[in-house]
Amino acid sequence: MTYEKPLPQINADTREFWEGCKQHLITIQKCGNCGFLRLPPSFICPRCHSRKTDWITATGRGSVYTFAVNHVAFHPAFQGDIPYVVAIVELDEGPRLLTNIVDCNPAEVRCDMPVEVVWDDVTDEISLPKFRPVL
Amino acid sequence: MFRMLTEMAGDAAAFGHFGAAAGYALAARRAMHEFGTGPETWKHIAVGQRRWANLNPRAVMHDKPMTDEDYYNAKWLVEPFRLPDNCLVNDGGRACIITSAERARDLRHPIVTIMGMGQHNPSTAFPQATYLAGPTGARQASETALAMAGITLDDIDACEIYDCFTYTVEITLQDYGFFGPGEGEDWFAGGTIEPGGRMPVNTSGGQLSEAYHMGLTPLTEGVMQLMGRCGERQLGPMTSTKDPEIIVCSDNGAILQTHSCYILRRW
Repeated sequence: MTYEKPLPQINADTREFWEGCKQHLITIQKCGNCGFLRLPPSFICPRCHSRKTDWITATGRGSVYTFAVNHVAFHPAFQGDIPYVVAIVELDEGPRLLTNIVDCNPAEVRCDMPVEVVWDDVTDEISLPKFRPVL
Repeated sequence: MFRMLTEMAGDAAAFGHFGAAAGYALAARRAMHEFGTGPETWKHIAVGQRRWANLNPRAVMHDKPMTDEDYYNAKWLVEPFRLPDNCLVNDGGRACIITSAERARDLRHPIVTIMGMGQHNPSTAFPQATYLAGPTGARQASETALAMAGITLDDIDACEIYDCFTYTVEITLQDYGFFGPGEGEDWFAGGTIEPGGRMPVNTSGGQLSEAYHMGLTPLTEGVMQLMGRCGERQLGPMTSTKDPEIIVCSDNGAILQTHSCYILRRW
């Protein structure tokens, strides 16, 4: 069955991030000058404007910064998922990801709840980092 | 349309995150966590603005009264937002003419001047934002505008606030300093912003209940009120409110990433 939901539009900035996801690794950028850890990927550090960039691998653990429960499918491919949870997860390293909370009743999601990554291999090329509560 | 939807959402579309309601819902949820706001506060905004719309024959919701119960019975869209927490979708247009005071003096209508303005744009990729639960750009923008006008909040007679969502009204008034974080529920209770209230807000019904004309909804209403052209909803004796001399207005953009505050005065 073909995958009907939108896929990330990979570009020069984000390619390395999504390559990492394919290996089930969350990679984040570390400024080679000031050490600032950042997402989303960018070719220049928003703090010090250095172009020297390294990549580090995150632990895949974090907490729910905020979340919203979608009760309407704005895109028909999500019809079977409602109600589903979109969240901003703050990684233990600091940067945040927009993602989904899965394996959890939407009514039980809370801000600051500890979560860990769970990979959704949606195509051969794309794995989406989603998060579930740490039991 | 789906192509537009997904392109505007960027990679967030992969996770089913689309549109402004979803973004502001994330901001509102964080605010619930940080200072205890929620639907109990927002219902005062949705219901209060509807009462203004019921006095405004141009309002999309003119003939549709809304009670607290109607608010709570409305369907979830992106929780914590119910349908009446969201602005309207409509066609229409607005215009406002800005000219020199010298030229305006000769016109038929009373004129309104700009006392002060301020803008602050804490723009960043919104998942990384530290301002979703305030202070948003509204804090610094209003400080700049009030300083330019040489007034304090005590001099304000009414507010026309950009109200894409109910929460936007709360966080804007909170950041302006009308009340402290989490004090909104008490501040709004008892009809504060409604006809007859002590601080009228969004007196046309606003984007929630009159019409969504982007920043022109608050701007044109502020100007019209000060010109005295608002008919049944006119501030002053008609609505048992203070005769308006000074009105503060706002505009904001993206997911609270930009904010403009401006203060209008009857001349």
